[in-house]
Amino acid sequence: MKISDYIGLSLSNLWKRKLRTFLTAFGVTVVIGALVAMVGFGKGMQKNITESFESLDLFNSLTVFPAGPATQRFGFDPDDQAPVEKNPRGGGPILDDEAIKKLEKLEGVQSVFPEIRFPALIKFKDAEELRLVQVIPAKITSSKLIKLSLGKPFASDDEDSVILGTSLLRPLKIQDPASLLGQKIEVASIAFDFSRFNPMNIASFLQERQLPFKKTAYEFTVIGVTSAISFGGPSPLQSDVLIPPGSARRIEKLPFANIWDLFRAREGRLGYSAVNIRLSSPRDVDSVKREIQDMGFSTFALVDQFNQVRTSFIYMDMMLAAVAMIAIFVASLGIINTMVMSILERYSEIGIMKAVGASDSDIQKIFFFESSSIGFLGGVCGLALGWVVSRIINRVINFFLAKQGLPFFEYFSFPLWLCLGAVAFAVLVSLVSGIYPAYRAARVDPVIALRHD
Amino acid sequence: MDSKKVIATNQLCKIYSTGRVQVEALKDINLDIDQGTFVAVAGASGSGKSTLLNLLGGLDRPTSGVIEVEGKKISEMTREELALYRRFGVGMIFQSFNLISSRTAVENVELPLVFANVLKRDRRQRAEKMLDRVGLLPRRRHRPPELSGGEQQRVAIARALINEPKILLADEPTGNLDSRTSREILQLLAALNQAQGLTVVLVSHEVALAREFAGETIGLRDGRVESRERVR
Repeated sequence: MKISDYIGLSLSNLWKRKLRTFLTAFGVTVVIGALVAMVGFGKGMQKNITESFESLDLFNSLTVFPAGPATQRFGFDPDDQAPVEKNPRGGGPILDDEAIKKLEKLEGVQSVFPEIRFPALIKFKDAEELRLVQVIPAKITSSKLIKLSLGKPFASDDEDSVILGTSLLRPLKIQDPASLLGQKIEVASIAFDFSRFNPMNIASFLQERQLPFKKTAYEFTVIGVTSAISFGGPSPLQSDVLIPPGSARRIEKLPFANIWDLFRAREGRLGYSAVNIRLSSPRDVDSVKREIQDMGFSTFALVDQFNQVRTSFIYMDMMLAAVAMIAIFVASLGIINTMVMSILERYSEIGIMKAVGASDSDIQKIFFFESSSIGFLGGVCGLALGWVVSRIINRVINFFLAKQGLPFFEYFSFPLWLCLGAVAFAVLVSLVSGIYPAYRAARVDPVIALRHD
Repeated sequence: MDSKKVIATNQLCKIYSTGRVQVEALKDINLDIDQGTFVAVAGASGSGKSTLLNLLGGLDRPTSGVIEVEGKKISEMTREELALYRRFGVGMIFQSFNLISSRTAVENVELPLVFANVLKRDRRQRAEKMLDRVGLLPRRRHRPPELSGGEQQRVAIARALINEPKILLADEPTGNLDSRTSREILQLLAALNQAQGLTVVLVSHEVALAREFAGETIGLRDGRVESRERVR
């Protein structure tokens, strides 16, 4: 028999029982659709993370913290004992300008900038938002780390300019980001007001809810808008309001951005809470890390974080595989059921085919072609279904994220191997499901089958 | 073995066992059938005539004994070899016609060609030519339920002969037909036998009718050959 004959025969048989064929194929469609959507989502996230790491040059990033309990930024245990003190002043070396100069001299280090953030009110027209303003040197604003969708980077470290993130546009009620360029916005910082601070009178502060702070407003010109930055994550960018260091120095501000800074301030160890380092190549990460640790600082490399993320993706893939296996098992039961039913219905037909010269393998192949046609149909429809579902989910997620000022984001990725693999997988599963029915069909005894009616 | 002999059986036995009960359907059958003869196998129901035909047609295997067809021992063939034998060596027709009801007449006739690896366009051509020979070309696009019993049996004959076998095995081909149509079918078989030298083995319980067309009759009783008679 020719392959075209097998296909023709199988399709005409399936077409004779359209409803059952489509119901069975639909089972496969749902499974493959769900699988494609889930794997597409996983791959999409993976791709997004890898790409943003690459495009922001995050593989070249290293963050340095002062040693000691304060380095555990992500968890605080009050019973935690301070580490053995390395120098009499306690804790370890202070992360100050002197330390930065040392870090800059290390081989492979491209640039170093301290992480300085302070709370401030951002005012534009009648809108007001509280933000932690981050200080970023001019040369960093022109690096890959910051993607400007509008405007230009800081020309010098001393200009009174600000770069805003797109996530700030909506809270500030800005419709047209382009019109923002060149406009003035107000950055009102908060600082201690020693004139109002009287320890004898602390009770009255609390009663009147008047803390010893004062607010000072400074004017900044918006010169750039940066598209979605993954601040809050592991990126060195932790804010959507960026100003250069020169003008930051002139601002009266609280010298801390978080509670750890307060602890360090109390110990008289006021340095930077963290310093970001850009390396010339990801290959230098390990050697530079070691040198910095020898200097007594703690380090955090995004590459390590990335590897952790990658491991978690492997776990996610394994979970998906487990769910998929259960689903595909159910779908294959459907195929087996359909095929066995079909043998019973076509018992005499199989006998006739054998009587006119069909061999066991001919019959077997006809049934294999039938079950794999169901799988192919289900696979192709499933691929389409998965794609459509992913489009809908993507729309919905983006609709809600847009409300929070985040730009459109593609959460799904359908690489070619996924599309081909999904269909091939469906065919493979249906072929395996077809083994038993095909074997049974091939063993039909023509004498009994022809006696049937 | 004589070169004229197309079918020869030697000590052919077939025992069916259902559970503990064993039924001897055929006992020590020794038969020689010459090429180009029209043989009628007669006998009451249960005499083993259909079993004999199934064995000769390669649909079933003997319990013991040898069947030789055209010098080949089909009793020793593998399943695949038997399939090839059924495809090219013999044609079979049945009482209940055994056509595939969802396929048209011409598609039914084409079916053996599909397994014989014949190209699609050649298949159609050959099937139509065959249907023409049994006088059913105008009805080629009809499905079996739209055809009369006689017409269905003609389609079955066309299908049985499409791969040009030397032997046609007919298992009660007139069992579901009225007497006039039965006669027509047997006439057709006789004509094919005479015109092309086709060896026809006809199983029938209608002895009188069979004798009108057959050149030789074999009487079976309880699985044994009871009588053998040359009619003409």
